[in-house]
Amino acid sequence: MFLKKSIIALTGLFLCLFLIVHLSANCILLLPETIARDLYNSYSTTLRESTIIKVIAYVLYLSIILHVFYALLITLKNRKAKPQKYVINKSNENSSWTSQNMGLIGVIILLFIIVHLANFWARIKLGIGEEVGLDAMGNKDVYEVTHTLFQNIYFVIFYTLISIPLALHLHHGLKSAFKTLGFYHKKGLTILAKIALFYAIVMGFGFGIIPFIVYFK
Amino acid sequence: MKLDSKIPKGKLEDKWRNYQVNSQLINPANKKKLSIIVVGSGLSGAGAASTLAELGYDVKCFCYQDSARRAHSVAAQGGINAAKNYQHDGDSVYRMFYDTLKGGDYRSREANTYRLAELSAPLIDHFVQQGVPFAREYGGTLVNRSFGGVQVQRTFYARGQTGQQLLLAAYSQLYKMVRAKKVEMFPRSEMLDLVVIDGKAKGIIVRDLVNGDLKRFAADAVVLATGGYSRVFRLSTLAIGCNGSAIWKAHKKGALFAAPSFTQIHPTALPQSSETQSKLTLMSESLRNDGRIWVPKQKRDTRRANEIPEDERDYYLERRYPSFGNLAPRDIASRAAKERIDAGFGVGKLKNAVYLDFKFAIERFGLKTIKDRYGNLFTMYKKITGVDAYKEPMKISPAAHFSMGGLWVDYELMTTIQGLYAIGECNFSDHGANRLGANSLLQASIDGYFILPNTINNYLASEIQTDHPNTDHPKFEKAEKETKKHIERILAINGTKTVDHFHRNLGKIMWQECAMSRNKLGLERAIEQIKEIKNQFWSDVKITGHEKEMNTELEKALRLADFIELSILMCTDALQREESCGAHFREEFQTEDGEALRKDNEYSYVSAWQYDNGSFKLHKETLEFEFVKPSVRNYK
Amino acid sequence: MKVTFKIWRQEGPKDKGEIKTYEVDGLTEDMSFLEALDHLNELLVLKNENVIAFEYDCREGICGQCGVFINGRAHGPHDNITTCQLHMRSFNDGDTIVVEPWLAASFPVIKDLIVDRSAFDRIIEQGAFISAKTGTAAEANAILIGREVADKAMDVAACIGCGACVATCKNASASLFTAAKINHLNSLPQGKPEASKRVLEMTKQMELEGFGSCTFTGACEVECPEGISIINIAEMNARRSKAKWLS
Repeated sequence: MFLKKSIIALTGLFLCLFLIVHLSANCILLLPETIARDLYNSYSTTLRESTIIKVIAYVLYLSIILHVFYALLITLKNRKAKPQKYVINKSNENSSWTSQNMGLIGVIILLFIIVHLANFWARIKLGIGEEVGLDAMGNKDVYEVTHTLFQNIYFVIFYTLISIPLALHLHHGLKSAFKTLGFYHKKGLTILAKIALFYAIVMGFGFGIIPFIVYFK
Repeated sequence: MKLDSKIPKGKLEDKWRNYQVNSQLINPANKKKLSIIVVGSGLSGAGAASTLAELGYDVKCFCYQDSARRAHSVAAQGGINAAKNYQHDGDSVYRMFYDTLKGGDYRSREANTYRLAELSAPLIDHFVQQGVPFAREYGGTLVNRSFGGVQVQRTFYARGQTGQQLLLAAYSQLYKMVRAKKVEMFPRSEMLDLVVIDGKAKGIIVRDLVNGDLKRFAADAVVLATGGYSRVFRLSTLAIGCNGSAIWKAHKKGALFAAPSFTQIHPTALPQSSETQSKLTLMSESLRNDGRIWVPKQKRDTRRANEIPEDERDYYLERRYPSFGNLAPRDIASRAAKERIDAGFGVGKLKNAVYLDFKFAIERFGLKTIKDRYGNLFTMYKKITGVDAYKEPMKISPAAHFSMGGLWVDYELMTTIQGLYAIGECNFSDHGANRLGANSLLQASIDGYFILPNTINNYLASEIQTDHPNTDHPKFEKAEKETKKHIERILAINGTKTVDHFHRNLGKIMWQECAMSRNKLGLERAIEQIKEIKNQFWSDVKITGHEKEMNTELEKALRLADFIELSILMCTDALQREESCGAHFREEFQTEDGEALRKDNEYSYVSAWQYDNGSFKLHKETLEFEFVKPSVRNYK
Repeated sequence: MKVTFKIWRQEGPKDKGEIKTYEVDGLTEDMSFLEALDHLNELLVLKNENVIAFEYDCREGICGQCGVFINGRAHGPHDNITTCQLHMRSFNDGDTIVVEPWLAASFPVIKDLIVDRSAFDRIIEQGAFISAKTGTAAEANAILIGREVADKAMDVAACIGCGACVATCKNASASLFTAAKINHLNSLPQGKPEASKRVLEMTKQMELEGFGSCTFTGACEVECPEGISIINIAEMNARRSKAKWLS
């Protein structure tokens, strides 16, 4: 169980790093369209063609799968450890709602990831669904895909709303991952808690606001 | 019956060594074949069980709690004494021996008390080795503090939880031996009778508290480590489950009961606040270092403490004992409080308390210092009473605490039944008529870790050849049958009053007549009243449920039935001792200014009582003072 | 004062339990919560009903035997106390008080509010000791231990083994309990020789007993009567990784 927990923590931390890169790339979308389209498309072409990135991409897929798989296993085990629920449980008085519901939040995020992958990854990378056109420079016009998607207000709202559970999950996840991995320096943990909060706000805010900006652009 | 205390020959400091040199040994191969039952898993019981198992004996250990770690040694706060002289303040084994003997008002054996002091130093070594986180100086050495009744600093402590830390060390060591399969542990198991075969203790009858089954266990020796019996007063500082049943059953099977009436009343507990109260919480004696004790000068004063001006307060301890003041020994402080309360000066809702005031200490040392010293105690006080003691005085009151009395044991800690040992608080040996603070953890540990494992061989050596006991023996059959009958009888009464009802009444009588001060008339009256309670109990108690299940009411009833009988013996003993000594204060025997009047010529003995079909026969073990001349305790 | 108790009643480990309602009058604010239950039990006896089985012993917050779930919190509405330290003044006249036993697969109910916590003893058995025999100790001051180290060891050694950490944890994790004992002994020089073995065997037993894993909700440190910090679990994890993978 300890190894599984450690793997959840490690893969979680890796995903946290990935999100930083992801959000940075998304920021390109905020630039004026003329610059943004070329930059965004060439960036995504580079990613697809680089061998190192390919390797990292596989690590990423594996991380998501392991993170979800072991979380599921551990959740089942934990349920078995506590088969019966209290008639009244005021867990909100001794712990945060997030910490009590990481599994539920995780499932919501997982559902989102599936939708998200279907919208982008499946079309761009696997060529499933409507074919992606090329831009002036001959790169796949990923910018156009994004832009079109975020003209749909329901998608915008969906993406924005999902940033809330994402931020919550990241906040608790980042803090506990370090503790699971055995980081126990008292002052360090206080600083870590602040970093985790900052990180979660930036990620949540970033991923939440960009679809809106694109929508109104 | 001639009581042979088996004190070894020689100079005081040589006695224990002489004993060890001359006692019999058992080779390791034979130890494996011998089994020992230990009843109780506190500091003495767990210490003995683990050490005996380490030596190679086959040990079974029983406790009524859900785990060995709950035993009431856990609750001792202050510390444990040891003559290490780490503070370089002139302490020595002899001085510690002398303080203990004097503190007990010269009613204990010199040799036992000396051994207690002698073994105290290696005991600290032992506990440090076992990982007890004692308080330390920045440089890494051990810290000591002072405690009531002595002038040196010899008390080792781990915050206000010394008992807990020592007990957990003993419990850990015990479970180490459980893992090694040398100790079998039986929690939630209560001993209900002792089995004696041909004059030798050979086993016990145990009730499984989960399903009510009666079980037989046989062994080559039985060790009782069942603690004190102050729950006889109902309201005491003891755990609710603490009881005297095991030693009482042993007493009824022939073990003599020594000095049953010597009960220490602790001066600084929290007062009773209602009729339904179950327990009096102890506040560490260390509070008396900085708190001043007082009552209003006006009887039944209804003003709040802070509204009473300085000149209308009576600091009675400082008034009566100018040199020791608020630090007078426990028995004296308790008695002085009772005197004021009885005279109508008590405070609080039930007028049963005195004030312990930190106003002056806070003014003098500042709030922060007082918080540093006693913060956890003030927090505890607030949790229980809801009152902030930084702003108004604490209300404290005396409470029944430690039993100096217990089964009579010789120097080997063997009772008058062959092969039956009593260790820790359940025996009578080292504290005389009053126990010094921080000596209780010490005695329990030393009995279990150091003394018993050395003395039990002397008996068991002769048991190797004899047949090992078998639970099919008719004596087991008989004991189990009688226990079963006893239980059925109690359940069959089906009267109209609860067990607690009788316990409350018994407690009231005992507290009134057989606690801090006693007199002939009162004790005689008490015996009659208790006999009446006994009759009522056996005709009118009501217990619901049956015996073949977990039945907490039945457990309480069985314990109370024994307490009732024990309390008669306590009163009988107090009545017999026509002098005042230590915690035993007979109103008829006091000096002109109200101090205890000891009568060494007539009462320098240990009273040891033999059970004789409902009545008690007195035997006397004369105390010989070869090395110290008894003097009058003076704390003025 | 008068309150309505809603209390979990269960005959035995295999029986089905249910909440039963009891109106109790004649209580006072100064009564402890357990005394209120005592009082209720006396009333039940007089009504010829079986008493409610609940646990207690010292009633001063140190033995760790008491412990029930009161109105949705382990040991009741306050942080860092034991059930026996809870007093009726924490409730209002007319309140409804729901009382349940600790719930965890590894703490099976024995009867009513009493559960079996022997799993804790078995974790202790796997190494919460120093394997030195009585009589082999060196002079106490021969081992110097700095005050900070001793204090830190004492912070965790204070664990009373009540099981509130398991009871309040959504995963019924015994991590705080196990960590407290491991960190106590492994941080002291006396515990060093067996440090790796201790952490590996005790944590292994913790998992074998069926306790869940720690997800750092932090509920345990709030309910722990001794206020033992959750950081200790992180420390245990570090010790465990080191023993498992680095030594």
